[in-house]
Amino acid sequence: MNERKNSVFDGILGDNLVLASLMVISPVIICGDTIKNALSLIYAFNSITFISLLIGSFVPKKLPYTVKIIIYAVISSLIFIPVRWFAVEFYPDSIERIGIYYPLLAVNSLIVLQSEAKFFRMPRGRMIVSLVFYIIGFDAVMLFTGIVREFFAYGTVFSKVADINTTVSGLGKPFGGFIFLGLMCGVYRKIRSAIAERKNEAKESH
Amino acid sequence: MFLIRDLITLLLANLVFSQALGTSTLFVAASGRKNLIRTACVITLFTTIASAFTYFVDTLMPPFAREYATLICYTIIIGILYALFLLALSTFGKAKFQAYKKYIHLSAFNCAVMGTLFTISEKTADNISLRDTIHYFLKGLEAGVGFVVAAVFLAMAYKKLNSEKVPASFRGFPAMLIYLGIISMAVYALK
Amino acid sequence: MKLKKERHIWLDKMLTLSTLAVMSFFYYGSHFLVMAILCVLTAFAAELVSVRMMHEKPDPDDLSSTADGLLIALMMPASMNYIIVFLAALFGIVIAKYVFGGRRNMIFSPAAAAYLFVLTSWSREMLTYPAPHDHISLMGRTDALVNSASHVFNMTGRMDYTDFELLMGNFSGPCGAVSILLLLVAAVILIFRKDISAGAFFGTLLGTGLFAFVTPMIHSRTDSVKYSLVTNMVLFAAVYIVSDLRICPRRWYFAFFYGLFIGIFSYVLVLTTAKENAVVIMSVLFTPVALGLRMLEKKIEHADDDIEENEVTAEEVSA
Repeated sequence: MNERKNSVFDGILGDNLVLASLMVISPVIICGDTIKNALSLIYAFNSITFISLLIGSFVPKKLPYTVKIIIYAVISSLIFIPVRWFAVEFYPDSIERIGIYYPLLAVNSLIVLQSEAKFFRMPRGRMIVSLVFYIIGFDAVMLFTGIVREFFAYGTVFSKVADINTTVSGLGKPFGGFIFLGLMCGVYRKIRSAIAERKNEAKESH
Repeated sequence: MFLIRDLITLLLANLVFSQALGTSTLFVAASGRKNLIRTACVITLFTTIASAFTYFVDTLMPPFAREYATLICYTIIIGILYALFLLALSTFGKAKFQAYKKYIHLSAFNCAVMGTLFTISEKTADNISLRDTIHYFLKGLEAGVGFVVAAVFLAMAYKKLNSEKVPASFRGFPAMLIYLGIISMAVYALK
Repeated sequence: MKLKKERHIWLDKMLTLSTLAVMSFFYYGSHFLVMAILCVLTAFAAELVSVRMMHEKPDPDDLSSTADGLLIALMMPASMNYIIVFLAALFGIVIAKYVFGGRRNMIFSPAAAAYLFVLTSWSREMLTYPAPHDHISLMGRTDALVNSASHVFNMTGRMDYTDFELLMGNFSGPCGAVSILLLLVAAVILIFRKDISAGAFFGTLLGTGLFAFVTPMIHSRTDSVKYSLVTNMVLFAAVYIVSDLRICPRRWYFAFFYGLFIGIFSYVLVLTTAKENAVVIMSVLFTPVALGLRMLEKKIEHADDDIEENEVTAEEVSA
């Protein structure tokens, strides 16, 4: 029970995909500048990653490492086809803006590298729960980045003009993404260490 | 004079600073200065050779299938190269294979390589006259060199960014991101 | 000794920057004065908060952030919005300085990073300037903003100002970067007091001047050299940014080549793309070079120490 609880929180706070492991950061930096883009990326990432890892978990473990990695990449590239088809229907505006970052989600480190190192070592049921929370962790960061950057860079919220006098247009640019993500990582670490400290103090007092 | 202008152009076209491609790999490789440079060199090898092969995909692919099927074709190309590079490395002996295989594992499937292929494909789609193997090869090499430049930029600051003087919450990755952000800002200002 | 040196550097820099600020106040009025005060106070407050966040005690001997703050104000047009000025100072001190550990672990010049931050986010506001003597009220803005003399020179090769006007700073441009005579005096003082790197300073000027002579921007080579040095913030950046002892290499010959290449690259950039104030952009892009040269210096020092040690032990053995 305790282990399960840990895995649940790992993906969101303890071992956040973006903030702790710095995985899948290119789309966050470049495309996470508006809420619409963020939602479109969240949809693509969730569906590609979840389905690919689920199917990938059935790949025989005895195969050589290199072959398995290639198979995982091929699976996610195939999943990309229907995901993109639906994206054209649901997010026609964002798909142009996101451009090459859409297919790049299919070769993200979570599918190609972490699947073998982390997820496929767990029992399937636990893997699914853990994966869901890793995905939620990514979604939360992506959405937060989209909201903050859109508000301060363009002075809008979900493309509706907000009441803000001075916008920092640089925040919507790639360098703004780098700096914002760097600051977020720092704040995230601070929060994480504060929580760990509090836990330690509580343990000691007990 | 022309050399300096070309260097500035190369910096402007840098995929790490302008499109953040391969930053995750850069950070994974940033566990040491040597690691960084070696990974960057292997990535250059991948981008250069894979780009030359993607020329055939781009020319043979029917337009209606381009948006959907390009990725799987590129994945297969990289997959074949991945296996071939490992095979080639194994011919140098077991010790070298064990020592260097991690760079190939790290460099095969990532945003740097795949992003380069898509960027070249996107740019040549706008200008069909650029579609030839040499152009693809050179663009792949250029992207790889750009990645090496970014790795060198990071390697130079590696010690300072991981120094104990940096606040604990920013030490390492966050400081690296902000450092790359400020360099990227300077590159953007050049445009 | 080191603390004393730091305090002296700060004092000398503040003195020279203050004279530039007085000159800017004379040309542009009270709006600039408020800008400068706001920048200095923001920088100081940002430093205090950052130091507290790092669980350290503020050092009364280190006031370098106030000099950085004033430097930021002097790099901007006198008409700049207060909020932007505030954000620039905050960015320069918190993000470009304290995120990396503050004065003990400097990577970027806070002023140069802050300048780029404003340039990339508010380029129109940053690159249009009030004309000298066009006094702007405290809260009001002027409508008569013009392009800088550097921009006109880069685009057309024309310079509509006399040498006297250039020396006195009577031409449009960033507040502090136009007073050429004062900058020259500041350079002499700071070099003689060893507050800035002479190698980097002369390297930057030589790099720019040499290329301006070899590949002139205008018909006359001497005018090309002269105007290339006084426009695009070259002199200002050579004194306060490239030659900053916290950033540039310590050995004079390394610093010289570091400055030389910044000068050459920025001149080529101005020549080929007419990019205004390219020297500031280049100074940030050359940060890895400065860091690399500093690493090399340390290695040389270690090697020298090892040789000395070996010699001493060899002498002892022979004795």
